[in-house]
Amino acid sequence: MALLKMEDWYDLARETNWTADYVSTDELFPKPMSDSFDIPVEEWEAFDEPYKVTFRDYVKSQRDKDIGAYSVKAALARANFFKNASPHWKALLALHFSAVCWAEFHSASAFARMTRFSLSPGMRNMATFGTLDEIRHSQIQIYFAYEFLKHDSVFDWCHKSSKTENWIIISLRHALDDIAHTRDATSAAIMLNMGLEQAFTNLQFVALSADAAKCGDHSFATMLQSIQTDEARHAQIGEPMVRIMVENGKKKEAQQMVEIAFWRMWKQFSALSGIGMDYYTPLEHRENSLKEFMEEWVIGQFGRTVEALGLDLPWYWHILKHDISTFHHANQIGVYIYRETEWWRPIAGVSPAEREWLEEKYPGWNETYGKCWDTITENIRNGNYDKTTPVAPPLICNMCGLEVTGTAGDQWQPVNHQIDLDGRKYHFCSEPCKWIFELEPERYRGHKSIIDRAFDGTIGPDPDDFYEYMGQSPAERGVDGYDFQWIDGYDHGDDTSREAPKRAIG
Amino acid sequence: MAELPLAINVQGDYGYKVVVVDDDNTIEEVIHVAVDQIVGVLTPEFPAGTVLRARLHGTDSPLDNKIIVKQAGLAKMEALQIYAE
Repeated sequence: MALLKMEDWYDLARETNWTADYVSTDELFPKPMSDSFDIPVEEWEAFDEPYKVTFRDYVKSQRDKDIGAYSVKAALARANFFKNASPHWKALLALHFSAVCWAEFHSASAFARMTRFSLSPGMRNMATFGTLDEIRHSQIQIYFAYEFLKHDSVFDWCHKSSKTENWIIISLRHALDDIAHTRDATSAAIMLNMGLEQAFTNLQFVALSADAAKCGDHSFATMLQSIQTDEARHAQIGEPMVRIMVENGKKKEAQQMVEIAFWRMWKQFSALSGIGMDYYTPLEHRENSLKEFMEEWVIGQFGRTVEALGLDLPWYWHILKHDISTFHHANQIGVYIYRETEWWRPIAGVSPAEREWLEEKYPGWNETYGKCWDTITENIRNGNYDKTTPVAPPLICNMCGLEVTGTAGDQWQPVNHQIDLDGRKYHFCSEPCKWIFELEPERYRGHKSIIDRAFDGTIGPDPDDFYEYMGQSPAERGVDGYDFQWIDGYDHGDDTSREAPKRAIG
Repeated sequence: MAELPLAINVQGDYGYKVVVVDDDNTIEEVIHVAVDQIVGVLTPEFPAGTVLRARLHGTDSPLDNKIIVKQAGLAKMEALQIYAE
């Protein structure tokens, strides 16, 4: 049978919309699921995706991508890459897979909501592909991650993590629930596709893929590339949505959605990609810093996209420009010293050579965050391992769920944005986190950080209660990824006669 | 007499910590509790003879080291900075 050319039928298919007969349009598209923002349906029907694909072509290209990714994996399976990988790279893999696999799976639900409840048929079509994409992303990543299970039980957390109340998972889940899972289809499309995917997935998938290739992890690199090509396509759902909003007098609403989603996801990527890029990527394979990636791809490219769509740059852009040099450095200290509360084996990433790189990329690092590392390093050198984990827990931001941090060391600058509401003090790590809370206190006020839960009796008083609450058996509590051997680099200076520090573990 | 969690950032540390004190503690005792948990772990020892003070986050004036927490009106999770005078 002769096939019509795509251009002869595509527009007709994508513009065919429902005409409700048995129920009203409001029942078919209830506002909590399909907020029209009072824009007529004809305007939504003008949705025009920049990247057009038919189902037949979609299936073919996805099949080809899968063949490529799985065949590279099969070819490399005998190479024992993982067994020989450095603790740096193992920590990065564990962090990536345990944070990303289930987040992708949850995204399928958000895209499915767009598939059912979007007002535009063209967008429903695109969202169908997005749903399938996200299912594929969760499946392929869990499949790749589980390959490592025979070497390391940490990868059990690729699936398990989302079901736990671990503090890092609470943080990520809260952000994704906020922007993708508790919003109507229109808002979720703008917040998830613009605020997360278009803004940040390059950071996690393109940059990480390049690092993976340099490290010789070609299997991981190929898999990440195959995911990013999907992300680049379905992330484009957000652009026409914003354009329709702006053209119909709803710029303020679209602007706010982008600003909320972008900031919420910046905080997550700052911790996930920031620590991954600047501390966990082996130094010899490290090229660009998080700051450099952010300046080029996010502040530059994404910023231009936002303006081209008729929006303004987010009001907090100047805060972001400062945050890209600070927040993840502070959080890396916390992730390391509170390592027992994490399921993977964190890396300090501050050997003398790494400190040199950090100082080069972030001038002033040694006099700020480096000062905290000086004390940590000295304690390890002296065998005072018990002093490398503080007794006092960190203060957690009541929006992003990460630590409330400022500048350390000689340029000490405490940061804490606070709100008193009905007798409760809420603390925020940044002005934008506080701003998001103040936009809709009723939405956020009931959420409790892990620290709030520890002090209101939700979690029992014993240390083991805390770990049990977070789903961590004794074997699932993080230890230094190098068993403190990274400290040996400090022994090659004047003090060569000193004995290597006593190992705490192993 | 009751336990009271406070958010405290000791000079030089990268972020706030939650430190539990007694509401009958003096501010000086609060400073000691916080310093015991942070100094030597994340920040170096202060030089001998350093006088440490506490102030509410966002203010410049130090709290009186001799008054007790209750008198100072500190609420649960109040944010304090501890710094060298």
